[in-house]
Amino acid sequence: MNERLLLGRSIETGSWVHKLDARSKLTGMLLYVAVILLSDSWLSMVLLAVFSITIMASTRIPLKYFIKAAKPLRYLMLFIFIVQLLSVKEGDVLWSAGSFSLHEGGLRLAAFSVIRMLFLITFTALLTFTTTPGKLNQGLEGILAPFKKLGLSPDRITLMISIALRFIPTILDESQIIMKAQASRGADLQELPLKEKARMLVSLLVPVISSAFRRAQDLVYSMEARGFRMDAPRSRYHRLRWGAADTVFVAMFIIMGVAVALL
Amino acid sequence: MAIQLEQVSFTYAEKSLWKQTALHDITLGIPKGLLTGIAGATGSGKSTLLQLFNGILKPTQGTVKVLDVTIRAGEKSPKLLPLRRRVGLVFQFPEQQMFEDTVEKDLIFGPLNFGMSPEEAKERARKAMLEMGLDLALLSRNPFRLSGGQMRKAAIASVLAMDPEIVVLDEPTATLDPVSRAELIAQLERLCREQGRTVIIVTHRMDELLPVADRWILLKDGKIAFQGSGGELAADPDILTRCGLGVPHSLRYWHAIAGQFGLAGERPRLTAESLAELIASLPGTVRSGNTAGMGDAHE
Repeated sequence: MNERLLLGRSIETGSWVHKLDARSKLTGMLLYVAVILLSDSWLSMVLLAVFSITIMASTRIPLKYFIKAAKPLRYLMLFIFIVQLLSVKEGDVLWSAGSFSLHEGGLRLAAFSVIRMLFLITFTALLTFTTTPGKLNQGLEGILAPFKKLGLSPDRITLMISIALRFIPTILDESQIIMKAQASRGADLQELPLKEKARMLVSLLVPVISSAFRRAQDLVYSMEARGFRMDAPRSRYHRLRWGAADTVFVAMFIIMGVAVALL
Repeated sequence: MAIQLEQVSFTYAEKSLWKQTALHDITLGIPKGLLTGIAGATGSGKSTLLQLFNGILKPTQGTVKVLDVTIRAGEKSPKLLPLRRRVGLVFQFPEQQMFEDTVEKDLIFGPLNFGMSPEEAKERARKAMLEMGLDLALLSRNPFRLSGGQMRKAAIASVLAMDPEIVVLDEPTATLDPVSRAELIAQLERLCREQGRTVIIVTHRMDELLPVADRWILLKDGKIAFQGSGGELAADPDILTRCGLGVPHSLRYWHAIAGQFGLAGERPRLTAESLAELIASLPGTVRSGNTAGMGDAHE
């Protein structure tokens, strides 16, 4: 398993957040996204930071794991920062050289965009860190259940998500095996020049994709052999239970949203 | 020694919450020119151990010495390309690791990476095909269109084409039919006996390797449970049970016959043929039929 891939891996600590119903965590996350979008002042950003860090700390998962989850997107964040900084021409001029200038409004928006993205990724990692993929799917299915009346199939959506999540580490593992086999035959990606590296990565595609198709085919046969039918009623091994803590959890996000909107 | 490990430990994802130590304090030596078998229950660390032999994995503690290359934990490792030419590693299900559109291209991939000319690489490819008992006509075929056994042999040939001094194979006979398994083991034994290569094979099927392996290493929970000659292992098969492995049929039959006829201390006969010959040669035994009619290779 790729140790750097943190997103989508649960970390069991037995905290109160771990014990919450997946539906409340999903609802909380949706509200959190709204709160982030509403935050447009430094004070609301500070409030958001205090709120986020308090909840993250209460999961008893070291904060560095939340930060690590955002690490792969650091270049994207840098890109967004630079684009915002250069394109927004509002407020006082901070620095100028000829026709080129940096404005206070640009710096503020650039900083807000990066902070928002950082919060979004680190905090939403909380969902996957504290919830196993199975429970997450069940929660998603529960939230999407009302849409059945509109002809949407929650089963189909959650099955697609669960299979995708299930196969991410498998495909990564297979890629690593092939890369190790290539390294054994003198093509170590770490030691190759950039051009060769790109060529080797392309050569990985054929065996990895063919293997993914083979696995998908096997999975379909295996599910059908065990009587799986889409949208057929099935009993659940774990039952979702909405408790008082879930209501409190969701209420915290609503209060936070109201507070940010009023600031 | 071809390979020496001194107090080697290996931990996956060492700096994360999911760290998992696969090997603990391993000290072992694998002599040159011999055929060594490595066995152990699932999850005992066999595949991890093999990947230390050509620097695909580096020890998190201890020292790995392979031929004249030393890799120490925590130190910058030397350039591993020359080592990888000399130590050919065949992973489990090697056919899944073929990626070129013809068998020949896959076979010359390694030699070209190690700086050989295309002509020399093609010559190596042809030689490796013959060593694995494969028809040269298969060279132009797509590897994914070969039969399971052919694909497995072609994948092993792709490593042999690099002409390695040490050949390391992770369960090379897994999923093959009994005839292909016997053929493959015979070919691997020839690589060792006739060409003087050091051959290391990880196996779950000790029965097929017991008659040919010179030495054995047994792993249990990432630790060395036994290392010694095939004879030493045959003398104390209980060690296999302690490692969570079944005692192979051939060894059980040998012990039954040795106990019955007072042959303790004799060289173990671990094939049906050699055991039948021994029984036939014992005074007072009555030959009731042709040994060729005995069931499978072990019964």
